Amino acid sequence: MTFLQFAYRNVIRNRRVYAAYFMASSFSVMVFFIYSMLLFHPSIENQFIQEIAFMGMAVADVVLVIFTLFFLLYSLSAFLQARSKEFGILQQLGMDRSQLQRLVFIETMILGVVALATGIFFGYIFTKLFFMVIRAMLVLDTLPLYFSPEPFLLTAVVFTTLFIVISIAGSIFIRQSAIIQLLSGSTQSRETAHFSKVGAFLSFGLLAVAYGLVLYCLYEMNVWWSPVIILCAIAGSYYFFKDGILYLIHKLQRNKQLYWRSLRIVTFSDAIEKIRENARMYFIVTMVSTLAIISVGVVASLTSFANQYRESNPISVLYVSESGNPYEASHIDQLTSDFYKENLTYTLLTAPVTKQTSAATNRPVQLLRETDINTIAAVLKEPLIDLEPGEGMRFGQEVRDGQEQLIHLRENTIYFHVDEGYQYFPLPEAAFDGPAYILSDEDFERIVNPYLYGDWASSVTTVFAFHVPDWLRTDKVGLTLDREMIASYEGNQELPFYFDNPGLNYSYISSTFSLLLVTGLLVAAVLILAAGSFIYFKFYTNLEKDRRQFEVLRHMGLTNQELRRIANRQLYPQFFLPWGLAMLHATFSFLFLQAVWVDIAAMSIAMEMLIVLGAFTCIQAVYYLLIRWRYFAHLQLHTG
Amino acid sequence: MAIVTADHITKIYDGKVAHSAINQLSFEVEQGEFLAIMGPSGSGKTTLLNLLSTIDQPTSGSLTINDQNPQTLSAKQAAIFRREQLGFVFQDFNLLPALTVEENMVLPLTLANQPVEEMKERVDRLIQDLHLEQVRNHFPHELSGGQAQRTAIGRALIHQPQIVLADEPTGNLDSKASKDVLELLTKINRERMTTIVMVTHDPIAASYCDRVLFIKDGEYFNEIYKEDLRQTFFQRILNLLSLLGGNVNDLSTVRLS
Repeated sequence: MTFLQFAYRNVIRNRRVYAAYFMASSFSVMVFFIYSMLLFHPSIENQFIQEIAFMGMAVADVVLVIFTLFFLLYSLSAFLQARSKEFGILQQLGMDRSQLQRLVFIETMILGVVALATGIFFGYIFTKLFFMVIRAMLVLDTLPLYFSPEPFLLTAVVFTTLFIVISIAGSIFIRQSAIIQLLSGSTQSRETAHFSKVGAFLSFGLLAVAYGLVLYCLYEMNVWWSPVIILCAIAGSYYFFKDGILYLIHKLQRNKQLYWRSLRIVTFSDAIEKIRENARMYFIVTMVSTLAIISVGVVASLTSFANQYRESNPISVLYVSESGNPYEASHIDQLTSDFYKENLTYTLLTAPVTKQTSAATNRPVQLLRETDINTIAAVLKEPLIDLEPGEGMRFGQEVRDGQEQLIHLRENTIYFHVDEGYQYFPLPEAAFDGPAYILSDEDFERIVNPYLYGDWASSVTTVFAFHVPDWLRTDKVGLTLDREMIASYEGNQELPFYFDNPGLNYSYISSTFSLLLVTGLLVAAVLILAAGSFIYFKFYTNLEKDRRQFEVLRHMGLTNQELRRIANRQLYPQFFLPWGLAMLHATFSFLFLQAVWVDIAAMSIAMEMLIVLGAFTCIQAVYYLLIRWRYFAHLQLHTG
Repeated sequence: MAIVTADHITKIYDGKVAHSAINQLSFEVEQGEFLAIMGPSGSGKTTLLNLLSTIDQPTSGSLTINDQNPQTLSAKQAAIFRREQLGFVFQDFNLLPALTVEENMVLPLTLANQPVEEMKERVDRLIQDLHLEQVRNHFPHELSGGQAQRTAIGRALIHQPQIVLADEPTGNLDSKASKDVLELLTKINRERMTTIVMVTHDPIAASYCDRVLFIKDGEYFNEIYKEDLRQTFFQRILNLLSLLGGNVNDLSTVRLS
C-alpha cells in the first residue's frame, strides 16, 4: 500500500463523515460553474439589460468563492479535530509530522479534486436547464448550450487554488498538538457549564437594542441605523449562543419541580451540553441562514416592485405626437399593425393637448380637455370628473392647501381656478413641456387663438393612448420606436414624438429581477446546504457518544418510546435553535426592509416575506426529518 | 426463596458463524444473596448479565426473575420491569456526563415521575450513606473513579430495586477505591437485603460475596460458598481459577488487601 493509496482509502472509508462536506463543496463548484457558463456566453454579449444581470452573476461568483473558502476552512478544522485520535495513533506508530501533513494535504486534495470534477460534471448537465429558465425569463429567442474552455478553466483554476489553500491550511492545523493530546481525542473539551452572566445579559441587551431600533425605524425611518442594527444583531446572536441560552436553561434547572420531571432531566442537560459544545457553530449557522433568507427576500421584494410598475403606468401603450410630427401617420400605422400581428385587441383614444402661455409666468402651459380625460378614465375604470367653467385641475400633481392658483391664459384671456390635482392616471412628464392642466369643455372651446410664439400647427400635441387589456403581451409592439427613443436619449436629440410601452419596460424589469432571483436562490441554496452540512457533521461526530448514552438509558428501563422521545428532543436544539433565531432576525430585517420600501414605493412585501419564511421552514423541516430518520436508525430505535 | 431461577438457558448468536455464548446453564439466586459470577474471557459472563437484565432474550430454556418471565414481557413491559426491579452498576460507571452527581442519582425516580419532595429526601439520605456530600453538585468528569462508582451505585439503589446487577464494578478502580466499593456493596446487601449479582474477573472482589459461580465457555463449571474467613475464601477462589485454566491475564488483577 503506497502512501497515496493510504490517503485515498482514508477518504473513501470515512465517506460518511465527509458526505455532507463533499456535497456542499461540489454543489458550490456546480453553481459557480453554471454562473460562469452564463458569464462567458457568446450570444448575449453587448446587450443592454443583460449587463446588469451579469454583473449580478459576477458578484454572486465572488460571494460564492469567499463563502466556500470560509466554509471549507471551518469544516476542515472540525474534521481534523474529530479524527485527532486517529492521527495520534499514526504518530504513535511512527509517522513523522511531515508525513502526517502530507497525508492531510493529499486527503484534502483528493476530496477537492473529486468535488471539482463532480461539480463541473453536474454543472454542465444542469446548465442546459438553467439556460432554458434564463431564456424564458429574458425572453431571448435562443440561448444555446455551448462548449468553450473559458468557464471550465475559470472554475478549475479558481477552485483548485481554493482547495490548495485549504489543504495547506489543513496541514498547518494538524501541526500543533502533542500526541498524547491527540490520543485523548475530541472529548477533551468538557469543562463545566461555565457561562458568564454578563455575556448573557449583554446578549439580551444587544438583541433588544437591535430589534428595538428596527421597531423605532418603523416610525421614523433612517437607513443609517442599519449598520448599528446589524452589528448589534451579530454580536447579540454570538453571545446568545455562548451565554444567553445557557443562562436561560440554567434558570429553568433551578426550578426542580419543573426540571426533575420524567425525561426533562435528560433532555435539558443534554441540550445544555450540546449548546455549549456547538455555540460557535450555531452562531455561524444562524448567520448563514439569516443571510440566505434575507437575500432571497430582498430579491423577491424587488419582483414585487416590478408588479407595482403596472399601477403607476396604467396606459398600455402611449404615443405622444408633437405638432408637425412628420412620422405620426406612419408610426400609428406601424403600431396598429404590430397589434394586429400580436393578435391583441386595443382601444385607441386620442386627446389633443393645446399649448398656451400663462400670463403670470410667461411660460408655456399644456391644456387638456375634461371630456378627453374622462374618456380615458372610463376605459381605465377610474372615477370621472366634472368641471364647471372657470375651474381647472392640475394634471398629475397634487395641489396642496395654500397653493391654489388663478391662471390666466394670455392668448385667449381665459381665467380658471386650480385648487385640486388630478392623479387617477399619469402621463409621462417627458411627453410635455411645462405644467399640464385640465380645463372644462366650455373653457377649452374658447381657445381659439394659437400659442403666442407659434402658429396653430405648433401649439397642438396629440396623445394617442392605446388601451390593451392584455398589457403584458405588448412587449413586441413598437420595438423600433422604443429603439429610436433610446437612441435619442443617448444622442441627446429632440424627437418630435414620445413613445412609451410599459409592457415592454415591464418585461425588461421583471426579467432582470427574475434573473437576480434565480441567482439569489442558487447562492442561498449553497448557503443552506453548507449550514446543513455543519449540522450533519456535528451530528455524526457525536453519534458514538449518544449511542453509549442511550445504551445506559435502555438498561435503566426506558421504553423504546421514551428513548425515541429523548432522541427527538436531542435534535431540537441543533435544528430549531439556530433556525428560530435566524427566523426572528429575518422577520425583523423584513420589517426594516418593508419600512425602506414604503419610503420608496409605498408597497407591501408581507406576502413575499411570508412565502420566503415559509419556504425556508419547509426546507428545514424536511432536513430535520431526514436527519431524524438516520439518527433513529443509528441508535436502533425503530425496532420494537 | 429463589429470586432468580435459570433453567437450562442457552443463548446462540446468529451471524455468519453461529456461536453459542451460553449453553444449558442452570442456577438459582436466593433472595438477599450476594453472588459473584466468574469465568475467563469469553466465557459468556456479559451475555449472562444481559439476559438477567432483560436486555437480551435466551434462545432456549427458561429464566424467572422475581416470579416474572422476561421472555413473556413486551419490550415496554420489560423496560418498566427494569425500571422498577433492577439496578445496574457498570465497569465504566456510565454516568450521564451532562448531569451532576445528584441529578444522575435521581434519574431513575424522575423517570417514574415521583414527587420532587420524595426524590429530595431519598437522594439526601443516599448521598450521606455514600459519603458524596462534597461532590454533590459536581459533574462526572470532576469525580475520582471511586466517587463516580459510588454515584453509580447510588443511582442503582435509589428506586430500591429487588436485584442489583453489577458488571465488573471494580474493573476501573484502584485498590483503595475497589475496597470501598466492595464494602459498600456488602453493606447494602446486609442492611437492605438487596440481592446483588456481580460479574467479575477479580478474585478479591469475588471474595466479598456469599457464593461464587464459575462458568467456562458458557457452561456451568463449579461453585463455591463462603463458609469461613474472607482470606481462606479468597484462597479457594484462586485455586479454582487455576483449575479453570484461564489465561494469565485473568489473574493479573490479584491484589491482597
